[in-house]
Amino acid sequence: MELELGLSLPSSDMMMEKRIKTNFCKKRSFDEVLDEKTVTLPLFLQREEDGHGNSDSELNYGGGRVIVGWPPVKLPRRRTNCVKVNMEGIAIGRKVDLSLHDSYQALFRTLYMMFPKKHEDLTYAHVRRTEEEDGGCDYKVTYEDEDGDWMLVGDVPWEAFIMSAKRLRIIN
Amino acid sequence: MIEAAEPENSREWSDPEVHEGRLGPIFEDFAFFFSRVLVLFCPQSAVDLRSFACEAGAAGNSCIKDLSLGCVLFVVPVLTKLEVESKVREKNFRCCGAMTYFPDEVVEHIFDFLSSHRDRNNVSTVCKAWYLVEQLSRLRVFVGNCYAVRPERVMARFPGMKCLTVKGKPHFADFNLVPHDWGGDALPWIETAARCCPGLEELRLKRMVVSDESLELLARAFPNFKSLVLISCEGFSTDGLAEIATHCRGLRELDLQENEVEDHGRQWLSCFPDSCTSLVSLNFACLKGEVNTSALERLVARCQNLRCLKLNRAISIESLIKILARAPNLVELGTGSFTADHRTEAYQNLLNAFYKCNSIRNLSGFWDAAPRYLQAIYSICSSLTVLNLSYAPAIQVNDLIKMIRHCFKLQKLWVLDSIGDKGLAAVACACKELQELRVFPSDVYGTGIAAVTEEGLVAISSGCPKLNSLLYFCHQMTNAALITVAKNCPHFTRFRLCILDPVKPDPISNEPLDEGFGAIVKSCKDLKRLSLSGLLTDKVFLYIGMYASRLEMLSIAFAGESDKGMVYVLNGCKNLKKLEIRDSPFGDAALLENVGKYETMRSLWMSSCDVTQGGCKALAAKMPRLNVEVINEREESDEMVENPSDMHRVEKMYVYRTLTGPRDDAPDFVWTF
Repeated sequence: MELELGLSLPSSDMMMEKRIKTNFCKKRSFDEVLDEKTVTLPLFLQREEDGHGNSDSELNYGGGRVIVGWPPVKLPRRRTNCVKVNMEGIAIGRKVDLSLHDSYQALFRTLYMMFPKKHEDLTYAHVRRTEEEDGGCDYKVTYEDEDGDWMLVGDVPWEAFIMSAKRLRIIN
Repeated sequence: MIEAAEPENSREWSDPEVHEGRLGPIFEDFAFFFSRVLVLFCPQSAVDLRSFACEAGAAGNSCIKDLSLGCVLFVVPVLTKLEVESKVREKNFRCCGAMTYFPDEVVEHIFDFLSSHRDRNNVSTVCKAWYLVEQLSRLRVFVGNCYAVRPERVMARFPGMKCLTVKGKPHFADFNLVPHDWGGDALPWIETAARCCPGLEELRLKRMVVSDESLELLARAFPNFKSLVLISCEGFSTDGLAEIATHCRGLRELDLQENEVEDHGRQWLSCFPDSCTSLVSLNFACLKGEVNTSALERLVARCQNLRCLKLNRAISIESLIKILARAPNLVELGTGSFTADHRTEAYQNLLNAFYKCNSIRNLSGFWDAAPRYLQAIYSICSSLTVLNLSYAPAIQVNDLIKMIRHCFKLQKLWVLDSIGDKGLAAVACACKELQELRVFPSDVYGTGIAAVTEEGLVAISSGCPKLNSLLYFCHQMTNAALITVAKNCPHFTRFRLCILDPVKPDPISNEPLDEGFGAIVKSCKDLKRLSLSGLLTDKVFLYIGMYASRLEMLSIAFAGESDKGMVYVLNGCKNLKKLEIRDSPFGDAALLENVGKYETMRSLWMSSCDVTQGGCKALAAKMPRLNVEVINEREESDEMVENPSDMHRVEKMYVYRTLTGPRDDAPDFVWTF
């Protein structure tokens, strides 16, 4: 399922839209999709495609806003959003602060560092290649949502995920 | 009377240096006349002097500062010596001649009255003699960018240094825009000071990486060390603090503001020896871990000079009560969590404790404050000048309003936006002395129930005419409101507005906010710091370039339409020192339009703009005394990164003037062109 993040503003002001598109669409490999009103962005796979892609200032006008470093408040003021992480077969769990991550990519990076696979040299590049080859990796990450159900991490937009995730569980 | 030297080309000189400073009663009735300026100070009334200064041509060209004891220092451009002398005689002021005829000790004594580092920098450039006198007598040294100059050079120039301030990472590091191991290590500064300036007494570091090793060295190398202030630093743990507590005899101040400190569980506070009685200020509010509360109580009890104590969240009300009992003379208090188990007697004890503390002027903390405990502080509210409730989401609006009504002497207020427009209206009614207001967002990731809007700000501006410093996070702003605020409060020196939706226009007119911010910069002639937000075109930068002549720091995010915007600022703001820009469409043409400007500034930050690698290289080639650093965080190991083309956009660029050339501690992802 491809995620569609509309870069058109809620307001119908064409002038503003154009301005925003000029400012933010005029980036990197998104140039070729400038003609379309909305841009479809695969959220967490195939990021290497846009060689100069800047994932740092990704804007999401869908409803939540996840922009790195915005609003400009210092770390102590940000509400922390710590959830417990357990891995199948490991007695001692960890805690991860979701509010310090801006994407699934960043979260997986942290999880791989916390729960490294045995006998493998885990550089980040290796990890990501594995991800795109298998369409997933050796272990799956699941989360418990507000309803108490266990879901696969990655299906919903990031900002919806961080608000509903209560706990994480990594399954081998 | 000593014959004074004729000024050289004084009529051609159009832009005199202006010096201001404080004076003591020593140099009464003296006038110093040297090369191009006349420095006059005498214990006459300011009125006489003002009129004299105007007659002597001071209007618009000098600064007159009224000081205590009726002494005034000002500088006027002088036409001829004779004219000055006749004027001076007219008014019965005695006049002495050129400052160069005075022995060094006298000159040095005059410099003692110049406390601002800028004034001292200025006097040191007048002539070689003054440079030498000044460098040997400078006690307080300020280094705005740790990579602009080497520690060895600083300490060789100022061997008498007693107090050192150093700043490291760029400001946007506060918002996670600078990678973790970018740099800013404090160790070289501490090591060099240990070798060259062992008499160091005070160290202030901001946004630097401070290791436990550095703290250990600091604790042991400076026998007279008195004051350590760390702001937004990281890299150390409670072990380092234990070293400071153990070895710094005579420590007066340990002030930790918003640092990231690892809790190693060691009882650092217990490391203050029983012989330590010198503490005046202790702030550990940013620490997450627990401290030994009985050690803290004993420490507080034996430090009779303690005036500032800021506790961390781990301290409960019960401990606070005991601490206050031992420190009734506190002036500044950070209350700790301000919550207790559900025991009703705590409230009465708290009330009594605060009743005895009638010196408290500055309150903060309140992390988990429950409304019923808040009432305990009403007795001291009427003498408060500073109140920081910005870490207290538990306080409801109505309790806040009840408290604020008592705070009629308040000068500085920090709150969360849950105060709402209604709460701000109450502040506007009660706090007529208010100078600084900061309203922080309480719901950083939330869906945005409109907490404060332009209405709250307008109410404050009309109720608090002394307002000069603002940080305001809100959901919307209108041009009309900003125009009204500009009219009501022309004294802003700091104006930072953050509309949470970064490109939101005026919701009523749907226009960009150019006119509103334009009104602010036009009206507030003393504006030194400005942060913009909302939908903005190039026009706002035209206004800023035209009117914001005293502006020193400008923060831009998601604003502007073309290179012209940035160029207006670079060409216009002659006092600009720091420019930081993110997510705005400024590219190489803007970057390269006025390259000489960057040597007059401390630094330029640009991230997610349209600047390319080629542009950065061109800038570096033209300006060898700038470091043009590019931060590349891409982790792909493909050719794109190894040999990126000049057309490649840079994600993050940091440019700063420097005497040292490229730094030798740059990590892999930082390239200096």
